[in-house]
Amino acid sequence: MPFLLFGIASVVFLVSRMTPGDPLVTIVGERNLNNPDIVAAAKAKWGLDQSVLQQYFAFMKNLVKGNLGTSFTTRQPVMHDLWQRLPATLELTMCALVGGVSVGIVLGVLAARHRNKFIDHIARFFALIGSSLPAFWAGLLLLYVFYARFGWLPGPGRIDPRGIAPNRVTGFYTVDSLLQGDFGLFKDSVMHLILPATVLGWGVVGIVSRLVRASLLDEFSIDYVRVARAMGLRERTVVNTHALRNALLPTITIVAFTFAFLLTGAVLTETVFSWPGVGSYAVDASRNLDYPAIIGVTLLGGTAFLLTNLFSDIAYAFADPRIRLS
Amino acid sequence: MTDVISPPRRLRRGRPEWLRGPALIGVVVIAVWVLVALTVPLWSPYDPLAGVAPRLQGPNWHHLMGTDQLGRDVFTRMLWGSRTSLPVAFVVIVSSVIIGTVVGAVAGYRGGWIDAVLMRFVDITMAFPPILLAMAITASLGPGVRNALIAMVLVWWPIYARLLRAQVIAVKQREYVESAEAIGVKRFTILRRYILPMAYTPVLVNATMDFGQVVLLTASLSFIGLGARPPSPEWGAMITEGATQFYSWWIATAPGLAILLVVLAFNYVGDALRDSFDVKGVV
Amino acid sequence: MWLGNRKGATRRVVAVGLAGVLLLGACSSSGGSSSGSTDKALLIARSMDINSLDPSRAYCDTCQIYMTAVYETLIGLAKDNTTLVPRLATKWEGNAAQTEFTFTLNPKAKFSDGTPVTSADVKFSWERLQGLQASSSYLVSTIKSIDTPDAQTVKVTLSQANSAFLAQVNASYLGIMNSKVAIAQGATIDPKTDKAEPWFLANSAGSGPFTLEKYQSGAELRLKRNDSYWGTKANFPEVVMKQTADAVTQRQQLEAGSVDIAMQISNDAAKGMNGNGVVVSQVPSFNFVYLALSPGAKGGEKLTPKVRQAIRLALDYKGLIDATVGGAGQVQPSPIPNGFAGTAGLAAPAQDVAKAKSLLAEEGVTDLTLDATFPSLNVYGVDFTTAMQKVQTDLKAVGITLQLNPVEISVWADKIGKDGIPVTMLYFAPDHTDSSQYVQYFGLLKGSQWQTWARTDVSQTQTDLLTKAFAEQDATKRADVYKQLAESMVADDVIIPVVNPNLFLAARSDIKGLYYSACCNLIISDLSRG
Repeated sequence: MPFLLFGIASVVFLVSRMTPGDPLVTIVGERNLNNPDIVAAAKAKWGLDQSVLQQYFAFMKNLVKGNLGTSFTTRQPVMHDLWQRLPATLELTMCALVGGVSVGIVLGVLAARHRNKFIDHIARFFALIGSSLPAFWAGLLLLYVFYARFGWLPGPGRIDPRGIAPNRVTGFYTVDSLLQGDFGLFKDSVMHLILPATVLGWGVVGIVSRLVRASLLDEFSIDYVRVARAMGLRERTVVNTHALRNALLPTITIVAFTFAFLLTGAVLTETVFSWPGVGSYAVDASRNLDYPAIIGVTLLGGTAFLLTNLFSDIAYAFADPRIRLS
Repeated sequence: MTDVISPPRRLRRGRPEWLRGPALIGVVVIAVWVLVALTVPLWSPYDPLAGVAPRLQGPNWHHLMGTDQLGRDVFTRMLWGSRTSLPVAFVVIVSSVIIGTVVGAVAGYRGGWIDAVLMRFVDITMAFPPILLAMAITASLGPGVRNALIAMVLVWWPIYARLLRAQVIAVKQREYVESAEAIGVKRFTILRRYILPMAYTPVLVNATMDFGQVVLLTASLSFIGLGARPPSPEWGAMITEGATQFYSWWIATAPGLAILLVVLAFNYVGDALRDSFDVKGVV
Repeated sequence: MWLGNRKGATRRVVAVGLAGVLLLGACSSSGGSSSGSTDKALLIARSMDINSLDPSRAYCDTCQIYMTAVYETLIGLAKDNTTLVPRLATKWEGNAAQTEFTFTLNPKAKFSDGTPVTSADVKFSWERLQGLQASSSYLVSTIKSIDTPDAQTVKVTLSQANSAFLAQVNASYLGIMNSKVAIAQGATIDPKTDKAEPWFLANSAGSGPFTLEKYQSGAELRLKRNDSYWGTKANFPEVVMKQTADAVTQRQQLEAGSVDIAMQISNDAAKGMNGNGVVVSQVPSFNFVYLALSPGAKGGEKLTPKVRQAIRLALDYKGLIDATVGGAGQVQPSPIPNGFAGTAGLAAPAQDVAKAKSLLAEEGVTDLTLDATFPSLNVYGVDFTTAMQKVQTDLKAVGITLQLNPVEISVWADKIGKDGIPVTMLYFAPDHTDSSQYVQYFGLLKGSQWQTWARTDVSQTQTDLLTKAFAEQDATKRADVYKQLAESMVADDVIIPVVNPNLFLAARSDIKGLYYSACCNLIISDLSRG
């Protein structure tokens, strides 16, 4: 894994430096690009006057120390920025994941119990819509209908502009507001989560419901379920106590896959909903060619991806004793 | 995750088993869009690039989906948009499958250090969220459909490489391959004649599913300004334009629906294929 | 970006504008739900573009508002946007040659920590601004030395005549910081040793009516009233600027009463907005978006004077204003915007397709194809991609094909720096109230921004005229010189302004004292509720 992270860091470093852009425009503003004094001072300050190789070694040296450098745009250490923004992304993705998985399981069970019936078709349609919707378009549409047009739900952002963010304990506004006993703020932050989490979570529904349906159908054909049915147990009991428990195990293992999906979705969803998370930070960083921020975000994404992969491998090994960790 | 396949069910003559119900509708939708993409220049209602009416008109009989901020007919532009999205997705998928097949087959069949090197490379590529990687590549190559296309191929081929490698490893251990090796058939011939045909089903099924995803990614890249150049009508770019004219909802609605229709159609077909060929554990 | 605005795209989205608020219709008060403890805070919805909060490094529209609220300049600007009024200085005078200026500080002025504002603070603030060579340093580039004979007197010697100096002193970036506090936090006048920038992102050291409470990039900027302010104290105990990316959300939040002021409402979003406790005003601005033709750029060789003139004549200016801002804008004749010294009586540009075609025929130009790479920005409600598509259509009618290529501004900057770009688009918002900034930026002076980018010959006429204007003490005579400069720049056909958009200022109807200031954008301490 350190090897992979090292590789990722190097690749991103190279790609970002190869980009034919000029980050100075972000640093000094386009009004000063032809002012030699200002340009020279800025280059010296941000280390851009060194050769790419020198920059690379300086970057690697800092990275080993756990220092990602200072962002050109926010003028804060990238670590600080990520630390500040990560909870927003986690709160959103976890809501989307929990919501998506729950709805997915329900749909999957319904579809399996009513295989090839009307309900199965409806469930499949709903699930496939989720993986066919362009997230940015869905976000705009939902905002237009629920926010701009009818005002049923709040608009972009994490809380109402007049609200004051809760003191940071976990960084999750829903949790922190409860910790300080502010139910109004809790409700507000939940309401703000609904639209973006729906856009993001809908895609998960498709993945999960498909898997649950397929696993359940497999289980149905296995002896003990047949026996249970033959014994005259109620269908619901059969499904819930016997088949579902086994069928759910594989679902755990798709977390890694879902996570990559969510991360991609988060970039677009955060952009549309002005969500102050890592995804929107990534878009800003690549727009402004903010080298340190770009590398920081990608490393964070890569680490998260590898960790979830590891997690899913372990979970898989636990779920299926036939597979040994090697 | 390992990929398990069972041999394809025998297809009956005539209409294959999977081509029923929604999948059939999906195929029809795809066929219609392909037809539109091929023929729209012949019967296009308006010029997609010229302002033909007062700007920001709502949907009406003359302009089924209204006009945009430059007075262009949104419906016409939506139809022309298929001439970008469909060919791009096709080229991306075909190129990715070819590259992925070669790399995956070599890695899986040869094993050893070649496998290790190739797969580490694939791992690194896959550890990036696709949109971030595509954004970085497109940014460094400059915007434009061709560069977006290159970026997407670079992002996509590792998926097939990994998939095919797993298949090849699974098939490699079967008896008939081992016996072919024993009687001294050339390696390339074994790969081509005995292994690939068996290993290919999940790749094809996945390619169908991915076709829709590539259409989505193309639109996403255009949406954040990295895809098609104006004034060419491209669905993602049209949504961006519509978003700046938020209260004229029809500008973004039409291209969004077009994307939804195409992607949904491919997903239905892919889903049916997947069920029919019983491909599981798709990465 | 749920659009309208992209970050990075939004720098200088709204800048200064003309004085006065044009009320568009009646205002009936209702709604306005605000609750509990935050009742008294003033909330402003804004797409923020803050690059830094260090007074010597900050350079953005939001920074102008922040600097004005927290730091003070020696000279202020009256509501008429032309009269200079005392602020930290009680009086000032320049010599006849416009090379020496003396300021007398108000002995009552003190910083938020209670220490008096002295000439040493002025000297340190301006020397640091000059020494750090950050974005706004060019405003003090003419300063040669600063003398402080006593604690209340500041004597500035310039390296050249500069009749614009007092206007520059009025620019918010020349605000004064508490030098003792800043030095204690590592501030120096040398970029190699200065370490104060991070401290300034969380603290402030000014004498203004507000102090910095908290800043979170991408989310909010909180200001607290300076309760020991030496002048008239501000009305609001707390002011919060909320990052709100786009016009539509700003409108929704204002209508719901979640915010008190929305600063970047576009024409389309403003439609049907008046009433329900909201007042929307529209004022002409000094901001503009322009087309730039670079004959010296790679691929721009065919842009001869006649071809450039033909391009100017081929544009449908009215149509451009309609397409970009729905008609809510003005035609701007010269690179010096309407309302600045030297612009009275300039002829408005007009479309003349026949003449454009004949000019091209004279030059023997047919089927000309030009690269038009431009930054994909959306500023002052003008979407560059929309504007360039309209330009493309207009030029196509006279036989010129533009290859549009919208890119991120960093990519654009790289390209224009290396090869130049034949046809491109950019915007400008002023930093102070003097016309000289336009000549220095757009004029074909040696090393000016656009002389460098367009790679043209240097105009000796413009160089001489500007020197003359800088040495001219009399405002009327100076305006005459600037008019000659404006006409000369129009004749160059390098910079072609295409739209001068109006500004929309929207607020809850109980907010009083709202107007655009030419120096400072929005002056928060002038606002009140009631």
